[in-house]
Amino acid sequence: MTLDGVVRRAFEEALDPRDVICDEVRCRAYECDGLTGYRVVPELVLLPRDAAQVAAAVRVCAEHAVPFVARGAGTGLSGGALPVADGVVISLARLKRVLEVDPVDRLAVVEPGVTNLEITAAAAPHGLYYAPDPSSQQVCTIGGNVAENSGGAHCLKYGFTTNHVLSCEVVLPDGSLVTLGGDSGEQAGPDLRGVFLGSEGTLGITTKITVRLLRTPESVRTLLADFPSVTAAGDVVSDVVAAGIVPAAVEMMDTLAIEAAEQAVHAGYTLGTPAALVVELDGPEAECDVQFEQVKEICERHGCTRLHIAGSAEERAAIWRGRKAAFAAVGRISPDYFVQDGVVPRTRLAEVLGRIAEMGDEAGLRVANVFHAGDGNLHPLVLYSAAAGETERAEHLSGAIAELCVELGGSLSGEHGIGTDKACSMPKMFGEEDLETMRRVRSAFDPAGICNPGKVLPTPRLCGERPGRYRPHALEEAGVIERL
Amino acid sequence: MSGTTGSTSVRPTDLKAVRDAVLDTAGPIAIAGAGTAADWAGDLDPVDTVLDTTGLTGVITHNPGDMTVAVRAGTPLRALQDELSPHGQHVSFDAARVADGATVGGLVATADAGPAALVFGSLRDLVIGVTIVLADGSVARGGGHVIKNVAGYDLAKVLHGSYGAFGVLAEVVLRLHPVPRASTTIALPCPLEGAGERAARILGGPYEPAALEWVSDDGGRLLVRLEGTRDALPARAERIRELLGPEAADTPDDVWERHAGLVRGSAEGAVLRIGARPSRLPDLLSRLRWRTATAGLGSGAATVELPVDAVVEAHGLVHEAGGTSVLRRRPDGAGLPGWGPPLSALAVLTALKRELDPEGRFGPGRFSPWIQGAP
Ligand SMILES: Cc1cc2nc3c(=O)[nH]c(=O)nc-3n(C[C@H](O)[C@H](O)[C@H](O)COP(=O)(O)OP(=O)(O)OC[C@H]3O[C@@H](n4cnc5c(N)ncnc54)[C@H](O)[C@@H]3O)c2cc1C
Repeated sequence: MTLDGVVRRAFEEALDPRDVICDEVRCRAYECDGLTGYRVVPELVLLPRDAAQVAAAVRVCAEHAVPFVARGAGTGLSGGALPVADGVVISLARLKRVLEVDPVDRLAVVEPGVTNLEITAAAAPHGLYYAPDPSSQQVCTIGGNVAENSGGAHCLKYGFTTNHVLSCEVVLPDGSLVTLGGDSGEQAGPDLRGVFLGSEGTLGITTKITVRLLRTPESVRTLLADFPSVTAAGDVVSDVVAAGIVPAAVEMMDTLAIEAAEQAVHAGYTLGTPAALVVELDGPEAECDVQFEQVKEICERHGCTRLHIAGSAEERAAIWRGRKAAFAAVGRISPDYFVQDGVVPRTRLAEVLGRIAEMGDEAGLRVANVFHAGDGNLHPLVLYSAAAGETERAEHLSGAIAELCVELGGSLSGEHGIGTDKACSMPKMFGEEDLETMRRVRSAFDPAGICNPGKVLPTPRLCGERPGRYRPHALEEAGVIERL
Repeated sequence: MSGTTGSTSVRPTDLKAVRDAVLDTAGPIAIAGAGTAADWAGDLDPVDTVLDTTGLTGVITHNPGDMTVAVRAGTPLRALQDELSPHGQHVSFDAARVADGATVGGLVATADAGPAALVFGSLRDLVIGVTIVLADGSVARGGGHVIKNVAGYDLAKVLHGSYGAFGVLAEVVLRLHPVPRASTTIALPCPLEGAGERAARILGGPYEPAALEWVSDDGGRLLVRLEGTRDALPARAERIRELLGPEAADTPDDVWERHAGLVRGSAEGAVLRIGARPSRLPDLLSRLRWRTATAGLGSGAATVELPVDAVVEAHGLVHEAGGTSVLRRRPDGAGLPGWGPPLSALAVLTALKRELDPEGRFGPGRFSPWIQGAP
């Protein structure tokens, strides 16, 4: 215990003393997020009940230079909510009110602990819904979604969290309360809201969020199609895009991912097929029907071996159950796994999948793929057995896959964030001046460096004195981008 | 009076030259594009150098299959759209001054947007990567070339709406969308009172308007733009006409040019750009002394032209309604405040300015009265 009694009493004054948790057993429940390989038991866990208490708690942190980490549901996959030694965790789990649903302006005002799906549930009676739909939507919080700029299967057409959040009330790291953004997309000055979105809990704690709601589309059409190869399935995606169609979702799964999902939920996918595509269109009925016919025709043209069209809401739900279960279901075919989240330009999907398969073979490990094919966001699942001593090899392969995505002109992360997990890989994607500029942005919000320190940007402490040297980006080598 | 009187102009044609221009000069710098929004926001204080970005032109790379394009920031968006159109793709963005030759960088820096923002948002939603040059000559890249990317802080957002006061946009990567196969606009004569209720009915139904604007000309009209496939669009248009009654009629697409004309404003008045909760716009507008107005009744963005002496009061009324306002075009030397009462996060804005441009070199005065002199 290094946080002394004075600090603890200050927290107890700022909050109800019962909401300051210091017993080690209870604190242990907060030692990690969804990336369970990293664990740190926090000194204290604070459970504020409203924004004023969050601000009061942060003011105590600021006064005593205590680092703090905000936490939603703890489903993050990059170690963003990993506690900091000698620091406190501030849980937003009790800020759970839906404050307003406005069907005319199509927006909702919610507290950060409200889950993603609860927003849609509150909006549904008005024929509205909240569009970004991470697979974890039943449990993850909107506060966590804001921090990670989370995506979901339907983000291809509708955009990511940042495109759906109008404003955030934020407790800054000095304890002051401000609003970033406004009631419309118009803002006075730089898009501070947009800077905060996706900042992974490093610029402050959001205590109230205004989100846009969309009208439930008139028509939704969903199909599941099997293909003899990943390349054929990838070609379908290209042709759909080339036809000027913007599907609501295009998801791909490979043999291993299908095997896992089928074992878990029996959603009716074909065992053994090399690749399956889920394509969903939505919009006004007549337009949706025309484009759905085009998509079916494109599937057939590329040698589709089975075309299953959801004939009812239940059948559609089954298709999505299979897709959304794939992640967690991998646990059924492998004792342990790492998940990666790199992005490649969509036109390089077949190439990257080929390379990943080769790398897996070389490492003697299996890799299952389930991903957002429409936007090139991969989720390679590296399967391994810790008991068999494969951890290090798997970790290495997993990191190499993320860096491969950068080499192919993409990104380290499409939606899970950099967090603790990939901070040391950042120099593979960004040069020193890029990172230094990002440090300056961070410092504008958090000059004292107490807000989720050690995440996102590489530090010597985290990555060694010489963080991985920058190598020219592939696009730089190709003369597409310049650096001086 | 313009802050650029008596200054020297430099016109770099590549990224390195931009950095050199910043490093080889010492005093305050105005960053200029095509000049279509040169006087927007706060009055520029005197500068030594004008950094003219119009030499930074051309597509760096267009990946039609990925629907992304990287372009030098001084490229007029109009020229970019022309280059993309043979591929059936475009930037889904239609701010009024695009037709006047506004540059991509200038449009980002002024957070401009047109009626299409209802569906596609503003450039903050369409820019996926930037390369910027800071006042100390640092060259920083944020984002990338893929539409989905959460690695690092989103530097594009820092520059969106920075009015040339935070950094030079040198390169911009944009997300593209397919050009709609068909488009049609329906107009309904309609005064401002009553427009909100009509708009709510359209937004509450399955019509998916691509734009929904009230305009003050011809005694007031509600414009509904639909986009979609050639076969199916007429039926959707018919449903809208039924909803709006016998006075609703198809109207030629040039109504959008007239809309753009209203947004630009005339030389006599002062143009104020407003954002507010959409349902509050009609009431808010009814209290402003505008001469002409356009109002995005789904998006919450409005543009009004006011007599010069109505600007200060208008800033205040917008603020009271929970909205935001920024001054655009106005008569030379009007001496009007560019901004209304300070935003709640002014401390963050000032701290960002201090971090990125500690000597206050770029765009001095642009954020006055909020930020005066060096931050
Ligand atoms: C099975 C599974 C499936 C998933 N599928 C997806 C998916 O499809 N798409 C996707 O994008 N992600 C997915 N995720 C990842 C995860 O669910 C998201 O990142 C989610 O947004 C995290 O929310 P959370 O409430 O659990 O946040 P936490 O994990 O508690 O925290 C995440 C980050 O947010 C910060 N934070 C939390 N609350 C606040 C706040 N109020 N203010 C400021 N910062 C805050 C934390 O400090 C941390 O950095 C999945 C995870 C799992 C386990």
